[in-house]
Amino acid sequence: MTFIEYQALTPSQKASYKIKEFFSLLPGRFKSFFAAIGKFFKNLGLKFVGGCKGYGSRFTKGDFATKLSYIVMGFGNFTRGQVGKGLAFLAAEILYISYLAGFGLKWFNKFDTLGTELTHQVIDEVTGRPKSVMGDNSMLILLYGTLTILLTLVFIAVYIANTKAAYEAEQSVKAGKKNLTLKEELQEFLDGKYHVTMLSLPVLLISVFTILPLVFMILIAFTNYDKQHTPPGQLFTWVGLDTFRDVFKVTEGASKGYTFWELTKWTVVWAIFATFSNYIIGMIIALMINKKSIKFKSLWRTLFVITIAVPQFVSLLLMNQILQDDGVVNVIRGYMGLAPISFFNSTALVARVTVIIINMWVGVPYTILQTTGILMNIPEDLYESARIDGATPVVQFFQITLPYMIFVTTPYLIQSFVGNINNFNVIYLLTGGGPSKNPNLYQAGETDLLVTWLFKLTMNSNDYNTAAAVGILVFIVCATLSLITFNMSKSSRNEEEFS
Amino acid sequence: MNKTKRFCAIALAAMMAVTAFAGCGSDGGSSTASNGGGSNGGSGDSAATPTAPVGDTVADPLYGEGENGTIKLKVWGPPEAQDILKKQCVAFSEKMKDYGDVQIEVVPQGEADSATQVLTDAETAADVFGFACNNINKLVKAGALLEVTGAEKDLVESSNSAESVAAATVDGKIYAYPETGDNSYILVYDKSVVSDEQAKTLEGTLEACKAANKKFAMDAGNGYYSCMFMFTGGLKIDGYDDDGETQKFTDYDEATLVNTMMAFSKLLAVDYKDTLLNGETTKVVDGFKSGTVGAGIDGSWNFASAKEALGDNAGFAILPTIDVNGTATPIVNMFGYKLIGVNSQTAYPNTSIELAKYLAGEECQQERAEKLNWGPSNTTVAESDIVKNDQALTAILEQSKNSVLQVSVADTFWTPVGTFGNMIVDADKPLTEDAAKDLIKSTISNVRDE
Amino acid sequence: MIKSYRLSRMISDIVIYVILGGLGLIWVSPLVWLVFHSFRKEGGVSVPYVFPKEYTLDNYKALFTKTDVFDYPRWFLNTFVVAVFACIISTLSVLMVSYAFSRLRFKSRKMFINIGMVLGMFPGFMTMIALYYLLKAMNLTQTLPALVICYSAGAGLGFAISKGFFDTIPRALDEAATIDGATRNQIFWKIILPISKPILVYTVLTSFIGPWCDFILVKIIMGDNRDNYTVALGLQRMTDKEYKQTYFKQFLAGSVLVAIPITILFLKMQNYYVEGVTAGGVKG
Repeated sequence: MTFIEYQALTPSQKASYKIKEFFSLLPGRFKSFFAAIGKFFKNLGLKFVGGCKGYGSRFTKGDFATKLSYIVMGFGNFTRGQVGKGLAFLAAEILYISYLAGFGLKWFNKFDTLGTELTHQVIDEVTGRPKSVMGDNSMLILLYGTLTILLTLVFIAVYIANTKAAYEAEQSVKAGKKNLTLKEELQEFLDGKYHVTMLSLPVLLISVFTILPLVFMILIAFTNYDKQHTPPGQLFTWVGLDTFRDVFKVTEGASKGYTFWELTKWTVVWAIFATFSNYIIGMIIALMINKKSIKFKSLWRTLFVITIAVPQFVSLLLMNQILQDDGVVNVIRGYMGLAPISFFNSTALVARVTVIIINMWVGVPYTILQTTGILMNIPEDLYESARIDGATPVVQFFQITLPYMIFVTTPYLIQSFVGNINNFNVIYLLTGGGPSKNPNLYQAGETDLLVTWLFKLTMNSNDYNTAAAVGILVFIVCATLSLITFNMSKSSRNEEEFS
Repeated sequence: MNKTKRFCAIALAAMMAVTAFAGCGSDGGSSTASNGGGSNGGSGDSAATPTAPVGDTVADPLYGEGENGTIKLKVWGPPEAQDILKKQCVAFSEKMKDYGDVQIEVVPQGEADSATQVLTDAETAADVFGFACNNINKLVKAGALLEVTGAEKDLVESSNSAESVAAATVDGKIYAYPETGDNSYILVYDKSVVSDEQAKTLEGTLEACKAANKKFAMDAGNGYYSCMFMFTGGLKIDGYDDDGETQKFTDYDEATLVNTMMAFSKLLAVDYKDTLLNGETTKVVDGFKSGTVGAGIDGSWNFASAKEALGDNAGFAILPTIDVNGTATPIVNMFGYKLIGVNSQTAYPNTSIELAKYLAGEECQQERAEKLNWGPSNTTVAESDIVKNDQALTAILEQSKNSVLQVSVADTFWTPVGTFGNMIVDADKPLTEDAAKDLIKSTISNVRDE
Repeated sequence: MIKSYRLSRMISDIVIYVILGGLGLIWVSPLVWLVFHSFRKEGGVSVPYVFPKEYTLDNYKALFTKTDVFDYPRWFLNTFVVAVFACIISTLSVLMVSYAFSRLRFKSRKMFINIGMVLGMFPGFMTMIALYYLLKAMNLTQTLPALVICYSAGAGLGFAISKGFFDTIPRALDEAATIDGATRNQIFWKIILPISKPILVYTVLTSFIGPWCDFILVKIIMGDNRDNYTVALGLQRMTDKEYKQTYFKQFLAGSVLVAIPITILFLKMQNYYVEGVTAGGVKG
């Protein structure tokens, strides 16, 4: 069904069509999502097996220089006119080995236990005063151990590439072709292999400063790194899935499990309200500003957009102050003879509604900016025919504008939905998670999202492993959601696999 | 310096290096080399018998750390005390100049944060740092503090109040030097609104505020303040279970506790519902400035601003009593101490110990009481005129005798107890007996993470 | 007939003006409150009336004179330097990544896109401790370069909007250039970048604002080295329990000073921002 055909339906038909479509597509989407993941790992496995096969056969077929490249990396290229390339491979080998010998190995050796020797103090016999005897630091072992493993994987890839390059160089010499010189190869990086040039620096930065810490964090979820096992004074070690069991276990009274479910519910409610309230209100304001007969368009837009320019933590701390029990809002209510409202400290409902409204103050200007251009692109004839049918502006909005916009901006909506699930600033700076009125919540208040709870678990109660586990769970939800919708959206509909 | 001393030191250092390297792992190098050796340590008299006061009989209080060049130390203290701290550190270097060249860098770092910073990275942290005593357990567990032993231990025990020493003690061992004795909160009031007599009871205070159409401000949603509701009713914290981390509570009489909670609830949530201003403690002084608050519960760090806001009308008293079924019960609060600790990873343990001892000593506490109005933990200073003549300091030192020590408080304590406080003063409904019982149960289980 | 049509249109316009005016007031008034109270002389954190009774410049002066506890000018400068460098690196990474994903075709491009999209969804501050020790191993902790790295290293992951923008540029442009013998490198610098001003401005703006807003990461990385704090951490510190009573008005003044340059920059660049985000957002 095209969009125009869809428009011809009555509202109830539209709704039922949408719902039917949603549910009929859902199983398929999940299926293809997991199929894609499965395929991804299958391909990875195949590539690995293929790589190993090639590795062996190249060794048996290759000549002496190629064979020697299996030990002295780059030798094959070096002897066949590719001096630069050969030296680069050799340098990689030397660097890796010296890293292992000088740093990596000693951390990696303790990776299985994460350390056994406790730091403690002894009394110095001569001075009669205490001094420290340093033991193992589980956290550093885990971090540098992970680093070593990742570097080893990279090195293996380089090593395989080295054997391949040596073999290929040999083959091309045999075939009488001249190998590319270093200069020519470098030039190739500006054209044919330009993606390598463009991606290598960002990928390197992301690998070191995003992926490595992330892997470290994911591993933490499988240890007992909590307030009772804090380095450097204590050791922690592997505990398997215990932490996840804790997060899912709901017991009577206060528990992590209960808190997790309660906060999950609120996080979802929050994300839905926060996303759609911003989206709809922002769009309505954008429409009003852009109505042809309205003057001072840039003035109106500036009024709203100026709040974006003020750093968010400032405007949120400001809002927190303004909405205090004795803040300026309640002062004004006092002038008008109204009783003060305790926005953040009365009931959960009041606080939750307050944060959703304040979030609109923060988020609506973004929607105005982001939708203005698209709104102007809605085909005018759609409105034309609606007007002839006598549709009021409100009807037009819900029957034409909103469906069209949702149709076009699904990726953006999903992005902001995920953004709201992880909206740390608004909750942390505005309410700090309060009010705390539910005594069964473990280290959390009524407006805490999973993400702020996670922060509190790390900073206040030092439950690092629980925090990591919660982080992983939140991530899985967000990632699944956005991968499905992104890969279903029109921009990439025809290539639905991972590789 | 004299030659025999140097020779002794070198000989000892060599001897020690052998023993230390045998037992010491990765960090052996720096700490053994700097430990050097005392001049008369070889004969084993005063240094080997740790009970002798070190400063007097030992010729080199730094145990030879000064022999190998400049000793560089870093000290953390709160930003507002920088000037005095710097002065005191200069005085210390001056005192030590015969034994070594001690250079001290003073870096501003609030006491609330310093423990977190030390735990994040002990290596770059200060050698000597001030911290709030509620963090001592965490620090000791992480092995971040050098134990106080021997002569230093005796000195700390004999010169400071028993409570402050208890605040520096974990599992029977002392780990830090008490620095102040005023880290808590009391009743602060406007004398033109609340009379000294009225300030003795909570009912009187609230009535006076209500009569003057002013507010009574307190932070009932913050576990640090709201714990007074449970402490007053007899439910107090009592260190940890055997695991060293799960908060233990004292035995309590449920009826008394429930009655106390209901008494608080009746006053704050029903009778004086509109008089209570529940929110951050900044509202107390703000309210004094704008004339909207008559009294409040506020901490010692805001005493100076309260005095500035109210002038001669500034009144300070111990927390008032509350009427529980006809008995005037004194309110019990939580009391903390600021401590000075020595980083266990310092390269100069002996000099750091000397410095911590000096900064926490009588002379420095006296100076801080005079210049900064900090209440002392030192018993001699507590008896001095400067404290006696200050109503705020007198009141807070008196309150310390009727309080629960803010040490061995689990990190899981604060949030649930804040909820506990909110539920008691909840403006929508006074607490019923059943609700009180449920609340007690759920709060305890939440704090204990059960 | 025409008259009544005009009338109803006028009425609807007036209604819209009233609504816009009301909403505009709601949106701007907190900022107006901020500006007014940054000049307030009396009181501490809050006062029981709307407008200050006495005005003074002292709050602003104190920011620049009483620098022993809060060294505002220095932190402002730090933030500026960090923001400039982080902005350059981030912008380059974002443009490079999104150009590669949008215009170049290579093996496992799709996989890279998916991984890149997903990586950005982990809550960032969970990795802070690991990040700290990595930087420490490189001997960078407590330095400004460490901050630049933290703010710009992951920037490449934010390629979505600018990839969307590049996707809208007709491929025929590239093809024509290729026929003329241009390499992909030359196409990027000489053809694509010059017509990508909106997305360039958008990326520059967003990455420049980042360092002015973060106070969590900087606290961990800088530790006790107050000389290298940034203005966001400093301002946030002013609202801590120990300082709030004394420093709240300075916090307001400091906030105004931070907001002014960013606001001016933002208003000047607004149109590019809108263009960039519209073009990039739809395709996403």
